[in-house]
Amino acid sequence: MKSSSNDGVFRPHLSVVVPLYNEEDSVVRLVEAVQEALGPSSDWELVLVDDGSRDGTVARARSAEAQDPRVRLVRLARNYGQTPAMQAGFASARGDVVVTMDGDLQNDPADIPRLVARLEEGYDLVAGYRERRQDVWLTRRFPSMIANWLIRKATGVPIRDNGCSLKAFRRPVVERLHLYSDLHRFIPAVAAATAGARITEMPVRHHARRFGQSKYGLSRIAKVLADLLVIVMIRSFRGRPLHLFAGAALVALFFSLGAVVAEVVALNAFRPVKAEALVFPSVAIVWFGLAVYLLILGLMAEGAVRRYGRRVAGEIPLAREAA
Amino acid sequence: MKPSGVSVIIPLHERCDPLGPLYREYLEPLRAAGLDPEFLFVADPSHATQADEAEVLRKGGEPVRVLRLAQPTGPAMLTRVGASEAKNDLLLVLPAYRRIEAQYLPGLVERVHRGADAAFAARVGRKEPLPNRARRWLFHSLARPVTRNRFHDLGCGVAALRREALLETPIYGDFFRFLPTLMQREGFEVVELPAQQHPEDVGLRFYGPAAYLRAAVDLLGSYFLARFTERPLRFFGLIGLVLGGVGAILLAVLLVQRIGGVGIANRPALLLGTLFLALGIQSIALGLVAEIIVHLSAPTRRPYRLARLDSADSNDLPG
Repeated sequence: MKSSSNDGVFRPHLSVVVPLYNEEDSVVRLVEAVQEALGPSSDWELVLVDDGSRDGTVARARSAEAQDPRVRLVRLARNYGQTPAMQAGFASARGDVVVTMDGDLQNDPADIPRLVARLEEGYDLVAGYRERRQDVWLTRRFPSMIANWLIRKATGVPIRDNGCSLKAFRRPVVERLHLYSDLHRFIPAVAAATAGARITEMPVRHHARRFGQSKYGLSRIAKVLADLLVIVMIRSFRGRPLHLFAGAALVALFFSLGAVVAEVVALNAFRPVKAEALVFPSVAIVWFGLAVYLLILGLMAEGAVRRYGRRVAGEIPLAREAA
Repeated sequence: MKPSGVSVIIPLHERCDPLGPLYREYLEPLRAAGLDPEFLFVADPSHATQADEAEVLRKGGEPVRVLRLAQPTGPAMLTRVGASEAKNDLLLVLPAYRRIEAQYLPGLVERVHRGADAAFAARVGRKEPLPNRARRWLFHSLARPVTRNRFHDLGCGVAALRREALLETPIYGDFFRFLPTLMQREGFEVVELPAQQHPEDVGLRFYGPAAYLRAAVDLLGSYFLARFTERPLRFFGLIGLVLGGVGAILLAVLLVQRIGGVGIANRPALLLGTLFLALGIQSIALGLVAEIIVHLSAPTRRPYRLARLDSADSNDLPG
């Protein structure tokens, strides 16, 4: 369980979580910008998560940590990627409100207080979207437009910019998010599916990248599509996967019957010289086999939900009483 | 400060040299380096005679412990058992036959004592017959892209390790040969140190086809584990798309022909297309089930490991 405030552990109201990977040029400016945006109050902390950087990121983050007790460094043992780094930041954050942002200064920390204010209007998650994005249209903005449209249609969560890292969460959402693989791209959809979070979005500033290399490319489209399929399935069937698989098995069974009908029709209508030359019986068997396979797989998945799902089921969706 | 205690784990598996002389050969340089070693010989039932040999050493008052397992098992489990029974946090895993000159052992221990999580020996200046060399080259050049490892001697099996690092790395079965790679994946600091090959290690050895098959399966397995444990749909989905795509194309061609008036009732292509499509659907469905399991078990896993706190510059923490 999380430590409570009466055990002497300092628990700020706001935790800002920033994953860093080879951002030695940005760290100091980032820390200064956050300090400027959030002011001299001690009611916030900045959690810098070093994702196995090979440059001077750790050294600079350490000196920032030494100068300001509100800054903390969490170091991962190697380079794991953005999602595990963010999850590590979530695990380490102590605030009632958690804000995530990129370490490359593309987000503006000055937006943080606005996001938090919006969150306190009664939302569980506030996602920023980048107004006047400062990126190349063809390789960055166009693919991201398509991806966001797809994600919106597939998940039903009306977020127009899933790629923007600047987001604010209430603590219970963070505790219900268990991010792995590349799920950081779909946080609103995952939060809606697994925690029933109330989600809204608001415009935030976006600066062009000043330092370092962009860490994305066009090649991620196929991965995004696969992840999207997974999220849609998790959203619809994480409780009862058997429904999905039984439905698919029914379709296969339908094709199997279709092949049987075709066989009967072919035998009667054409009176083929050699009835054993017809392939319909074999086709029917293949479809029937597939139907059985899908049904068994569905039962297995159902078993997995029962086996592992207790923890998930135990996480009751978020609710809020009217004040 | 010098390390004082080290636990030497010798899994008794497959090949074994006479243990008495081997023990003394290993013991001497460790003692000379001021280390106080305990030796753990770990054997499954297939190596009862070798365990008896080690028992003789123990009865002679040597710092030797003999662990016998009731079940037959592989080197990975033997080593794990040794590690969990060891008295010291510093471990030295050695094969029961001569791989490297024993005077290189204290260097490995020293390197781990100075902060690495594991130090593996890599044999240098190797004199070996052509078939051995070709086999090793083939294995390492296949393993390199697959496991993204940068190690040069996965087969050596001589290593100094921190006990915790070894126990927290999931190894089982024949994956033992990928131990350095797996430890690195877990986020541990793994180094490779050169060591002189032992003259007895030079001889020509032949392995049966089963050994090659096992190595190939291990390679495939570690490829899957390294890339797809958290995203199984990317693996099964790709296979499914290729198979299902071939099937769909075949069936589409047949459909066009049927509409054009060509009969398809006796066309084997109809069966083939159906089969491929069904296989593709099966693969994707399996990937989805795997994804459900990965998703549901996410709260029980931690997808990262934090850097060790006792690394040199952690003293400048505020407060």
